[in-house]
Amino acid sequence: MLLQKIFTRALHSTRHLYAASGGSGGLEKSALAALRKKTGYTFANCKKALEKHNNDVGLAEKWLHEQAQTLGWSKATKVADRATAQGLIGVLIRGNRGAMVELNCETDFVARNDTFKRFVDHVACMCLHYTDLTDFDGDLWKLGFDADALKNLRTEEGRTLGDHLALLIGAIGENATIRRALCFKANNDLRLVGYAHPAPTNVGTTEGITQVGKYGAIVAYRSTHKLLDFEFHKSICQQIIGMKPMKIGEYDKDKPAENKDDETCLIHQEYLLDADKTVGEALQEHNCEIVDYHRFECGEQTERSLEAIIRSQHQSSN
Amino acid sequence: MSHAFAAAVCRSTASMSLALRCSRRAMSSARLLRMAGATASSTACKDWQRSGLLAAPRTGNKQQYLRQYANEKKVFERTKPHCNVGTIGHVDHGKTTLTAAITKVLADKQLAESKKYNEIDNAPEEKARGITINVAHVEYQTETRHYGHTDCPGHADYIKNMITGTAQMDGAILVVAATDGAMPQTREHMLLAKQIGIDHIVVFINKVDAADEEMVDLVEMEIRELLTEMGYDGDKIPVVKGSALCALEDKSPEIGKEAILKLLQEVDSFIPTPVRELDKPFLLPVENVYSIPGRGTVVTGRLERGVVKKGMECEFVGYNKVLKSTVTGVEMFHQILEEAQAGDQLGALVRGVKRDDIKRGMVMCKPGSVKALDQLEAQVYILSKEEGGRTKPFMSFIQLQMFSRTWDCAVQVQIPDKEMVMPGEDTKLVLRLIRPMVLEQGQRFTLRDGNLTLGTGVVTSTMPPLTESQRSELTEGKKAREKKVAAKK
Repeated sequence: MLLQKIFTRALHSTRHLYAASGGSGGLEKSALAALRKKTGYTFANCKKALEKHNNDVGLAEKWLHEQAQTLGWSKATKVADRATAQGLIGVLIRGNRGAMVELNCETDFVARNDTFKRFVDHVACMCLHYTDLTDFDGDLWKLGFDADALKNLRTEEGRTLGDHLALLIGAIGENATIRRALCFKANNDLRLVGYAHPAPTNVGTTEGITQVGKYGAIVAYRSTHKLLDFEFHKSICQQIIGMKPMKIGEYDKDKPAENKDDETCLIHQEYLLDADKTVGEALQEHNCEIVDYHRFECGEQTERSLEAIIRSQHQSSN
Repeated sequence: MSHAFAAAVCRSTASMSLALRCSRRAMSSARLLRMAGATASSTACKDWQRSGLLAAPRTGNKQQYLRQYANEKKVFERTKPHCNVGTIGHVDHGKTTLTAAITKVLADKQLAESKKYNEIDNAPEEKARGITINVAHVEYQTETRHYGHTDCPGHADYIKNMITGTAQMDGAILVVAATDGAMPQTREHMLLAKQIGIDHIVVFINKVDAADEEMVDLVEMEIRELLTEMGYDGDKIPVVKGSALCALEDKSPEIGKEAILKLLQEVDSFIPTPVRELDKPFLLPVENVYSIPGRGTVVTGRLERGVVKKGMECEFVGYNKVLKSTVTGVEMFHQILEEAQAGDQLGALVRGVKRDDIKRGMVMCKPGSVKALDQLEAQVYILSKEEGGRTKPFMSFIQLQMFSRTWDCAVQVQIPDKEMVMPGEDTKLVLRLIRPMVLEQGQRFTLRDGNLTLGTGVVTSTMPPLTESQRSELTEGKKAREKKVAAKK
């Protein structure tokens, strides 16, 4: 009986609401709808806000924005122990500076969502901004962040990245982490190029735009060519993402491996775009020298690579 | 085969073959007894079969397939039509609780085996066609249908599930919590449903015990709006409100048990029963062709769908050819068969075609029911190194060998929305075949490169045939392509 009542009422009020949301909606019922539509916070929270402020939408909205931070934190602590195996890599290159970040979440549905992508962009920009604050006049400067350091990174309005992350967790209702980041700053004749896979085809420029994907690579190179061949440099990033070389390799020291498929030296690897050449040959053809590179794979084991980041930091500071 | 057709066809062998066939189909002991009696007169036997078949379309599946896997296992009785459904939704909105609640409510009616939350939750790794998928399968039945219920943790797992086709979903239950409403990623959930070809969604608004009526109504409105925006008929989609937790804990039956039953009722009526293979126009991928002196040409293979009878018109399609013919005899196990059904391994005698006209890889089908294609769009999963795939990524224009049904053909690959594909990824590909072969939407295939299985996929849509210039591009090398690009610039 009760069920029937609920359903008939539901049907009735739904129609009623359709009408209300179409019009100005001064009714009490649509206050919740309006607040939800405007702010996007969960229904439960919108409801609570309205109850606290006698259905005053304006005050409720203000309260919600104030509460969002604490609500986000409480959600974040609640889900903190859930595994985050999915996520995205964001690669951002702006002039002689570059940043690569990894963010994780629980399901790949969230990783495909625009809210999450925007956040990746935000974190990448923050990291890039951080490099601006440091003066450096050597050739190449690299700085790696781990999760804790990133959380304490302060934004311009004084909040930490951790606060922003908590807001995101509050919105998507899933655990998320900022796992690691890497900043590059190149000076003199060094240049940077970045690439994230999978990337959409036919993109004119990636300068200043955060590329997102499951894999990312940033390459620092030196080229004597006046005209920069963006497609070629991008293909080197693709090569690094696809073939996962362990090191660049030196022509006189490292010998090519016997089995071509096991080759871990970048310069001896088969060039992906043209199987007749090695990467080394392709590089020589374009008068290009790879100085350093870094590759991120979403969800990969990090201990080794974090060590590598720190080690390379030491090297570049020497 | 030659033995079978050369053997004199006397009345007794004919009836014997029928008896064998029937006993294979219906193994219940009562029927076996009837069959034993029926072998005495072939007419009685035929009558039985005809009546059984006439009844089949009305009740879905009258015939009972009984299989004994091991002594202690329950025997699956195929008495109801089967349908595959799945749940999609945000992690905290209670997909698993709902699945557990469905099994519990149905277990009370002796229609399912009750599964606990944690039995379903840890979606086990499963291997299908060499691909690892995280998926939980649960089975249950309502009064009218039998269900396979799929639940996966991520987008990629649903895609892999679609590609391998182990449990192709015919419909989905979208779970939304009344307390939260639609999440940002609900849009992605609906996109997924679109991508894996689900046209029928039933919405379950969960956790109504923790929300008030107004909130529930608003959530319903919001979901309908979002569904409409994503290209579904938002106003017609059934929305059921309830609490899976209440059903699981046997509390407030009006939002617990009754809501679950209402949901199942909506699923029963809104998601249509898939057409059985048996009811489709017949199709036989040709495995071998023989020429039997004095009789003619015989083709063999496993009937993929439909029913083949003596005297039926047929068509051979493939390798740029379409040949019309008539089936003049059907045999199985060296015995004459009145009628072959989907799943039977058979030989068919065909009139007026020479042995050399037909090749392995062609299909014999109902005239006009299939077409040969040379361009298609497919969703493909590329095997990771651990699954035995290749280690290197690949780019557009790679040449691969495509295997499907009994044929294989060289194809050129185009990657429409990426620049390269890494092992372990799923992707959309456009495949161009070197010559037209029979392909349909939903057909599964494997891509191989040398002696390595590169990936497996499913045809998502067919494309217009290649033009003459596109066809010539298929065979040209990298240098020629580069030259063309340079000339354009």
